[in-house]
Amino acid sequence: MNFDGTDLYAALIHELKNELGLLSMTLENIPLQNEAVHDSAVNSARLQCQGVADRLQQALLIYKSNSQPIHPSIDAWSPQDLVEEIRDRALALARDRLQVEVALAPDLPQIWFFDRDLVEMALVNAIHNSLNHARSRLRIEAGMQEGCLVLRVHDDSPGFPDKVLNAVVVDVPRHPRGTGLGLHFCRLIAQSHVNQGRRGEMRLRNDAGAVFSLLLP
Amino acid sequence: MAASASVSPGWAQAAESTPIDYGALRALVVEDSSSMRNALRLTLSNFGITKVQLCSTASEAIYHVKLRDYDFILCDFNLGDGRDGQQLLEELRHSGLISINTVFMMVTAESYYEKVVATAELAPDDYMIKPFSPEVLRHRLESILLRKRAFREVYQHFLDQNLEAAAAACDALIARQPKYLVDAMRFKGELLVALGRFEEAEALYQQVIAMRAIPWARLGLARALHLQNKDDAAEIELRDVLEQAPEMVGAYDLLSDVCLTKKDAVAAQEALERGVSVSARTVRRLQKLGEIAHANGDLETARIACSQALDKGRHSIFITPNDFANLCRVQVEQGDLDGAAETLKKNKNLLVDSPEGQLVLAVTQGMVHTRNGNMTDAAKALDEAMRLRAAGTRGDAKMMLDLASTCMATGRHGEADGIVAEVARNAHDSDALLSKARQIYENAGRSDAGFDVLAQATTGVRKLNNEGVVLAQRGDFKTAVEKLLVACTEAPHNPRIMMNAVWVILKYIDQAGMDEAMIETARHHLDEAERQAPGHARIAGLRLHLKDVESRFGITRKGAG
Repeated sequence: MNFDGTDLYAALIHELKNELGLLSMTLENIPLQNEAVHDSAVNSARLQCQGVADRLQQALLIYKSNSQPIHPSIDAWSPQDLVEEIRDRALALARDRLQVEVALAPDLPQIWFFDRDLVEMALVNAIHNSLNHARSRLRIEAGMQEGCLVLRVHDDSPGFPDKVLNAVVVDVPRHPRGTGLGLHFCRLIAQSHVNQGRRGEMRLRNDAGAVFSLLLP
Repeated sequence: MAASASVSPGWAQAAESTPIDYGALRALVVEDSSSMRNALRLTLSNFGITKVQLCSTASEAIYHVKLRDYDFILCDFNLGDGRDGQQLLEELRHSGLISINTVFMMVTAESYYEKVVATAELAPDDYMIKPFSPEVLRHRLESILLRKRAFREVYQHFLDQNLEAAAAACDALIARQPKYLVDAMRFKGELLVALGRFEEAEALYQQVIAMRAIPWARLGLARALHLQNKDDAAEIELRDVLEQAPEMVGAYDLLSDVCLTKKDAVAAQEALERGVSVSARTVRRLQKLGEIAHANGDLETARIACSQALDKGRHSIFITPNDFANLCRVQVEQGDLDGAAETLKKNKNLLVDSPEGQLVLAVTQGMVHTRNGNMTDAAKALDEAMRLRAAGTRGDAKMMLDLASTCMATGRHGEADGIVAEVARNAHDSDALLSKARQIYENAGRSDAGFDVLAQATTGVRKLNNEGVVLAQRGDFKTAVEKLLVACTEAPHNPRIMMNAVWVILKYIDQAGMDEAMIETARHHLDEAERQAPGHARIAGLRLHLKDVESRFGITRKGAG
């Protein structure tokens, strides 16, 4: 086999994903012992490992989006299934630290067209932010807004700092680091969803906490 | 959206239905890393799935699936022994080892995993991108199980080969279960194609596209157009899809079929080459590229594709001895006799295992020895080939022509004429094969003899066929059947003749009433036609007609074809 730089890079990333997958699964399978010191250490390790895994996904996506725009593979999915899947991930990550709720609007359609994996990555990124900042609860909401499917992560944190809100308005992350980096990535995902000339959007606002929204046309 | 939490009707419905009994599920985990296997076993047991069989390669997986049924197969895309997860899935579905009720989930680390394959048969029920969390796995598994539960009736009719009823059950889902609307439309689209109802399939895919131009719907539309001979429209659709989604490999395969129908073999090769550059994993894509490139005279491309097909498909059921013959033929034509000999030597153990393989060895060795001027060994190889042929062993038409050509070059004219006549009878309407046969005679300076052999071989079959068709058009199905059955005896592997015979038999029964022996003959010939020309546009329609006749006369088909 001819190992040039790209091959090596791909092979390394491949191994990295495998090992990270294994590490995450191993951590998940450590039984809790109802013993505070042990359990909280295991829970933190799980959270951190998921954080690393999610960052890796983002890194790969951004790496690819440098050379070519993100190509979503659109199919029909159930928004409710997606929200419930995200809720269970949030519960598993939060353990008992936070209350996690789901709110489905009565007008939520049974199916919508989007790239499930990309949208899930964006929502999980928002969940990680909320896990870091929320006081006691977070709510995942789904419904319709302006003819789009809207998916929200709403927490009771002190809210997004002004500089994050402002950076989003001008569409360019000034110092993309930490929260800003993840949000930049979420916006790319939202914008990659286009239907009949309408482009998807990420919106941030504060309303008794941080409200992260994805609008998918 | 209202801020207050509300429960949707769908949620309530799910709560009402019986929960999935994970303890009853039997799972097979196919994963080449032992630590990952064990981690997955533990994860599954946390869901309550305790009946778990672990294995690490595709061959082990096939072994286990042959031993007993599994409800759930979780398979890593990258497996050690040459066959990957996608090949495993294709083989399991292709050989009917897993039913439509089995959940197959693919685990992949590749962001470029082929999400859009040509047909649902080639697609897993869902895929997981590594690294994934246990909750996601549990959710996706549950979604698939619930979906399969909703499709229970559809699948039952499908398994009973009652495609009409399966399509009707899809309609019921479309009308009553909005959550499964698109899934039901997708399945129905494939049923309509299988039923030969291409126009309805076209309309259905247009309906999906009106909701959203999802790639599989556009691919389905292009296929429905192609099957109605609307190849220009199909080509426009495909080229546009590929513009938007160049990674959609299934579209290249279909595009190459469309180009071939339009007699543009160069464009067909180009389409396949683009498909191979996106993914060189699919054995059948490589085989087809090898064949078309060879026909186009692009020997180097053909050689690479043929050897890649053998390489990727080392353990695949899609590889037959003919594939070795194909590679050797290209090598010989390139003048690389040592290369051809090397190919044979490397694969000798595999080839000696079956008479078909032995025939490939004998024919190819004969070719190589003849070109090397090694006439004693050539004669020995030819004797062996003729012995196998006399015992009923056959290769594909191209290889039989190779054999004829070598016979001719060594002065064994009578044997050569016999082989060419047989090939010609079975392919009386294949310009490519007939012109290749003519070429052999020209090269040997026997053009006139060749003209006679070919004329004699094809005239009889062609005459019987034409007479049969004309009689049928006049409504004399009885005599038409007689003519075409004689044609079938003379050309027992000729797909065109077989299909015409089936058609007139069914018309005859429509007119004169049931004839059990006749319907058995029709069944047999239709199977043979499908073996010779898999996926031919007429076959689906004939199957449907046959089924219709059977059900009108109350015959149920014994065993699945």
